Amino acid sequence: MNNQSAIKVKNLVKNFGKDDNLVRVIENASFEIQKGEVVALIAPSGAGKTTLLMMIGCVIEPTSGEIWLGDNMVYKNKWLAKDTRRIRREKIGFIFQAHYLIPFLNVLENITLLPQANNVSPKDAQKKAFELLEYFEIADKAYNMSSQLSGGQNQRVAIARALANNPEIILADEPTAALDGERAVSVIKMLKKIAVEQNVAIITVTHDDRILPYCDRIMKIENRGIVFHDKDAKGIL
Amino acid sequence: MINLAARDIEHSLGKFIVTTMGVGMLLGIVFIMIGVYRGMIVEAEILLNDISADLWIVQEDTLGPFAESSRVHEDLKNIIYVMKGIDKSEAMTFQNIQLPSKKKPVRVVAVGYDIYGTINPINPDRLIQGRELKNDHYEIVVTDKTGFKLHDEIKLGRNFYKVVGITTKTVSNNGDPLVYLSLKDAQELQFLYSNKEIQNNVARGVVNSESLMVNTIVARVKNGFSIDEVAEDIRKWQHKSVYTAQDQKDILTKNLIEKSSKQIGLFTVILIIVSTIIIALIIYTMTLEKMKEIAIMKLMGLPNSLIISMIVKETLLLGIFAFVFGNIFSHITYDKFPKLVVLQIPDAWALFGIILVASVLASFVGVKKVISADPAAAIGG
Repeated sequence: MNNQSAIKVKNLVKNFGKDDNLVRVIENASFEIQKGEVVALIAPSGAGKTTLLMMIGCVIEPTSGEIWLGDNMVYKNKWLAKDTRRIRREKIGFIFQAHYLIPFLNVLENITLLPQANNVSPKDAQKKAFELLEYFEIADKAYNMSSQLSGGQNQRVAIARALANNPEIILADEPTAALDGERAVSVIKMLKKIAVEQNVAIITVTHDDRILPYCDRIMKIENRGIVFHDKDAKGIL
Repeated sequence: MINLAARDIEHSLGKFIVTTMGVGMLLGIVFIMIGVYRGMIVEAEILLNDISADLWIVQEDTLGPFAESSRVHEDLKNIIYVMKGIDKSEAMTFQNIQLPSKKKPVRVVAVGYDIYGTINPINPDRLIQGRELKNDHYEIVVTDKTGFKLHDEIKLGRNFYKVVGITTKTVSNNGDPLVYLSLKDAQELQFLYSNKEIQNNVARGVVNSESLMVNTIVARVKNGFSIDEVAEDIRKWQHKSVYTAQDQKDILTKNLIEKSSKQIGLFTVILIIVSTIIIALIIYTMTLEKMKEIAIMKLMGLPNSLIISMIVKETLLLGIFAFVFGNIFSHITYDKFPKLVVLQIPDAWALFGIILVASVLASFVGVKKVISADPAAAIGG
């Protein structure tokens, strides 16, 4: 395995149901994503984008195949780790369509929650959180509740939260869907910058053609398999 | 580590306080129910303790004078007095009467005693105004709960009685206030017929001698004598039923209030079960409201233990604060109840323990929901 490889998927299959009710969602998907890359995952609705994202994120169990995260094979026809949640906690950051911040925690607590669950001391977790908040230019909002922030600010906090545990991979599910054009571009630029500066692989599910030019590659689910397209290709959405 | 339970409660503090107050009032009622039971026992023993007799001598084969009707001759006190081991003996009457009042008649238990005698049922510590009875006739000492004031005149039977003393917290075993009359007045009230009735009886050849009856003879035993042996002597030679102070307490608590206590006990158990179910429903609803956040936390990789501890802590905090509020509620309201309510610290601790166990049980429904929450529900549509 290449040392720069962040995600490697080999012959991945996902079926739902069985016999007459069998639904084949993903068939023999194989691909590799390098650290520092931003890859857009596109497909029509219901084609299996979220399912693929969830399999890579160790949330949904595939039917068969192999998944590597960094140097570790985490799935080979079954989960190889007892605690898949630990893998998520330590290696993966999630960004959602909406910010989905915990409403009863303030900005700082939202960002430090996961590192503290990873046994990082509260002091170190807060130091890292303030670095991220300054990076995203919202340090003055550290003690605000999410209800006191704008949509764009909340999304920046959500990205900061995803980065708080120093993940190797970020899985983003339509992170710009709820944002206007300017903010959407600003977020994808931010993700691109993070990918390069922090050597993080990012897969972002999107239907938004405004952000495709900022991605390194475009991965499309076609006929239940994975096809890569040039980022400048026209009419692929 | 961030205290998720505290943050969640802080975030919806108003809702939490209102919920806690609601559950707290329910727990307050549970505490008061236990207090009513304790009050019944205390009330049952007030008169016994104030009279402080070692022996209660009553009509043979009866459980008198409280559980069953009993009549013995007044002069039995003299016979008892001269028996071996007896220090003091007095005759007493107990009867339910209604005192006429401007608002509505007040039901009381009248205690008749010999004002020159050696056993006085009025406990000086409970006499808050006026004095004890000094005259053989037309004086009455009442309990403050009757609403009468010093020097009020109360018509009983044919005569008016002047209130010369007020006592407090003096009630009979069934919670009715006590009033005190001289033995002669009490005998008249209980046993003396109207003039017409007496004339009728004389015409029939019936001589009314019942005005010399009483309901019980109470006695105290000299130091050094066995109460049980003296009681046995009286049973053997006087053909009377004799009860020690402990027997009389047993009659009052076991025979008279046993059913009431069982009823209250059952109510208390039902209320505790209802409280547990209500706490469980509240926690279930609170958990349902947080399902999206719980799914996100699980998706991010937070361990179940962290999320479960949030639910359990919230349930325990709900139970603890409800208990505190219930305690405050019961202490504010307990003296408004018509019957005596005795709130005891050991009962409060027992209830606290039950609430903690009930809260942990109630949290299981929320915990079950957390365990079954699908992290995939946090992502996608």
